Amino acid sequence: MIERFKAQFFLKAFFVFLTFEILGVGFLFSQDQGIQYTLYYFSDTGNNSVLTRSFNIVKEVFDKTLMMIDIEVDQVEVPPIIDGATGASRPARQHLQSFEKSRGQVIVGLERFLGDNTTLGGNLYRSYEADYASLSAAGIFRQSLFQKNTTLTLRGQWNKDEVGEITKDDRYLGNWKRVYTGGGNLTQLISPTTVLEINADYIMMRGFLSDPYRLVKIENLSPNFERWLEHHPDERERKAVTVYLRRYLPGIKGGLNGGYRYYWDDWSVDSHTAFFNFNKYVFKDLIFGLDLRFYSQSQAFFFKEDYQKASLTTNSYISADYKLNQFQSTNFGVSLKYFFRDLLSQFQEHDFLENLSVEIKYFRYFNDLNFAGNIVQASLLYSLID
Amino acid sequence: MKKVFVGCCLIQICFMSGCARVKPYEREYLADPIMQGETQFGKQSLEDKFFSTREGSIGGAQGIGGGCGCAK
Repeated sequence: MIERFKAQFFLKAFFVFLTFEILGVGFLFSQDQGIQYTLYYFSDTGNNSVLTRSFNIVKEVFDKTLMMIDIEVDQVEVPPIIDGATGASRPARQHLQSFEKSRGQVIVGLERFLGDNTTLGGNLYRSYEADYASLSAAGIFRQSLFQKNTTLTLRGQWNKDEVGEITKDDRYLGNWKRVYTGGGNLTQLISPTTVLEINADYIMMRGFLSDPYRLVKIENLSPNFERWLEHHPDERERKAVTVYLRRYLPGIKGGLNGGYRYYWDDWSVDSHTAFFNFNKYVFKDLIFGLDLRFYSQSQAFFFKEDYQKASLTTNSYISADYKLNQFQSTNFGVSLKYFFRDLLSQFQEHDFLENLSVEIKYFRYFNDLNFAGNIVQASLLYSLID
Repeated sequence: MKKVFVGCCLIQICFMSGCARVKPYEREYLADPIMQGETQFGKQSLEDKFFSTREGSIGGAQGIGGGCGCAK
């Protein structure tokens, strides 16, 4: 009996992983128990590309205790000369040639249910790349109120980052950075078809907040110009509030989500983000989705397109980071999600695949700084709840 | 900006006090997959990560992230 069980288990595991490998995609996962493998590919108008593979499992390990393990690997490719529009840093020794870079990330988390209405959780996060490392601890407290009509979530995170620099003579220089995040979420059921959600975050960053490789063009009176290393303030206080409204539309078997985020910080960057999402069942097991997002931000108080040497001192803040410039962006996406439940339930020997679903997304992102990118994301989810 | 935050809180309070309680047996639509958010277990979604590394704004989503050199 045990042997038969073992054989079935390994057969199931083999089937699931074989399916994922054939499709070249992975699982998608939410707070429910499940396994998720996601493949994410980004390329932009500057021929930069990022390939991300993410594996995630959430399983009940003890009574009322969920454990999460998440592993993510990024592969970044940046062509010669063009500065890293991916945002990825480029070691000084490779500033004239294309380079490839890998980044790994591991998250281990536990979530414990204390009674019917209270959840306590925490996770540890570690990421590493050749010239950047991060260690993080996060905690979360969730309380349901009023017969679970209202849910309050509080969360906090502490990051200890090392911003590295690989010099032209291959030496490594480390700079420290700390990030403290506190946030909350309030979710309210408005009606049997409508949910309102409010998120608020406070983020304090301290330490080295510049890119150690990025150079800023400085104009002087002579025909030539100089290039200085970027220099940002060593503290940044950031705040964001987001309001979401999600509504189910029974008449068309669809759902409409809308939201707005306001962000502001003490570098005088503030932004407005509006986003809409529409999902509809094409038929029972297939969901079609449309996403639209508009974003607009102001520029940091020290950002300029042209810096004049005469007006600068060695302590002046200067930046060549386009993320601190004023710009607007638009993001448009389509998605398809298919549940295998009915298709595979016809085959009794494969009925364990009833819990399988696949999702494919495509996004087109562009801004008014002549930057555009394409994103393809494919995920496969295997739910561990019957 | 405090006004925005206070305004959001007031709206929330109005909804909380004004709306009828939704009974457990009335939550069929709310439990539908298309009503679920993008949040993963304590993790910033890949989409949020994309935006936070290419725009000057972060926060306001449920997931927790960071620790990426691309967000310098």
